[in-house]
Amino acid sequence: MKQPLRRILLILMTLMLSIIPQTVIAQTESLPPDLAMADDSLQEKLREVSRTLRCAVCQSETIWESNATLAIQMRDIVMERLIAGESPDEIRAYFVSRYGDYIVFKPRFRGLNLLLWGGPFILLSIGGFMLFRNLRKWTRPSPKADIGADDEDLRPIDEKQRKRIEEELRSLR
Amino acid sequence: MKSISAWHIFLLLGLFGLFFIFYQGLWGDPSALPPVIIKEPAPDFSAPELYEKENIVLSEHLGKVVVLNFWASWCQECKLEHKFLLALNKHYEDNTDFVMYGVNYQDEDRLAKAYLKQYGNNFEHVVDLKGKISIDYGVYGVPETFVIDKKGVIRHKHIGPIMGDVYSDIIKTKIDPLLAEGATSS
Repeated sequence: MKQPLRRILLILMTLMLSIIPQTVIAQTESLPPDLAMADDSLQEKLREVSRTLRCAVCQSETIWESNATLAIQMRDIVMERLIAGESPDEIRAYFVSRYGDYIVFKPRFRGLNLLLWGGPFILLSIGGFMLFRNLRKWTRPSPKADIGADDEDLRPIDEKQRKRIEEELRSLR
Repeated sequence: MKSISAWHIFLLLGLFGLFFIFYQGLWGDPSALPPVIIKEPAPDFSAPELYEKENIVLSEHLGKVVVLNFWASWCQECKLEHKFLLALNKHYEDNTDFVMYGVNYQDEDRLAKAYLKQYGNNFEHVVDLKGKISIDYGVYGVPETFVIDKKGVIRHKHIGPIMGDVYSDIIKTKIDPLLAEGATSS
C-alpha cells in the first residue's frame, strides 16, 4: 500500500512543480511590458487608475479591459505618470483636462451628473410616497363606504327626476 | 372631479423635464463630444519629422498661426481632405506668420511616406508613434484639425475632414482673423 501512495504523491508534486512556473509566466506575459517590470504598488495603482478611465474609441470599456491601440497608449501614459510620482487623482484630472468628463468611466458627482446619481433615488422616493399615500387611503375605514351614500344622495328629487323614475317604473310593468 | 394640487403640477413638470432630457438625448450624436481643450494653451511637443528625423518643436512657432492636422495612412476620410490640406498650405505659402504640420497618428513611417507619395505633400509631418501628442490634444480619431493662435492658444478644433464649406469657413472665419491679430493681443 505504501508504494502506490508514494507514486501518487510523486506524480502530484511533479505536476505542481510543472504547473506553477507556467502559471507565473502566463500571468507575467498577460501584463503590459511596463506593468510587468513595475513593482506591486505601481501595478496596483495602474490597475486602479486604468479601471476608472474610459477607452475613448471603445464603447463601455475601460482602458484596462481594452486592447485598442489608444487604450494601450493611454495605459502607458498612466504608468509613466505614476512612475513620475503623480497621484491617481492627478492622472485622472490630466485625462479629464484633455477629453472632458466623458473619459472618466464613473460620472463625477457634480453638475448635471447629479441627476444621473440622484435621479433614481428621487423617482423611487416619489413613487414610494405616492404608494404610501394610496395604501393609507385604501386601508383607512371610510365613513362614506360604511353608509354607502354621499352628500349628493341627500338632495331632494326634482320634478324631472321624478318623471323619469315614474316612466322607467311604468316601462317595467 | 378632484382638484389639481400644486403637488400634481410639480410632479407633472418634473416628469415633463425628464422626458424632455431623454427626448433630446434620442436625437443627439452619441459620438459628438464637447471639445474641452479650446481656449487652452496648446500642449507643446518635440517630435521627429517624418522624413528628416529632426525634432519639430511646437513652441518655436510662437508668434505664428499653427494648423495641426492629425492623420493616418489607414484613414479613409483623410484621403478625402488631403487635397484641401495641400490647397490650404498653398493658400498661405507666402505668409510667414502661418505654419502647418501634419501629425501622423498610429501609423508606420513606411505607409505614411507611401501615402504622401501617392496623394502629394507640401508641408511637414510629425511622427506620433506612441500617441503622446494625440492624447495631449484629446484626439479621439483621425482626421482632427487644430488651429493655434500666435500666442500658442488653441482657438479651433475640427473633427472630421476639412473639405467643401468647412475648407472655406476655416480660412475665412478661423485662420484669416487669427493672422490679422497681433501676437500680443488675445
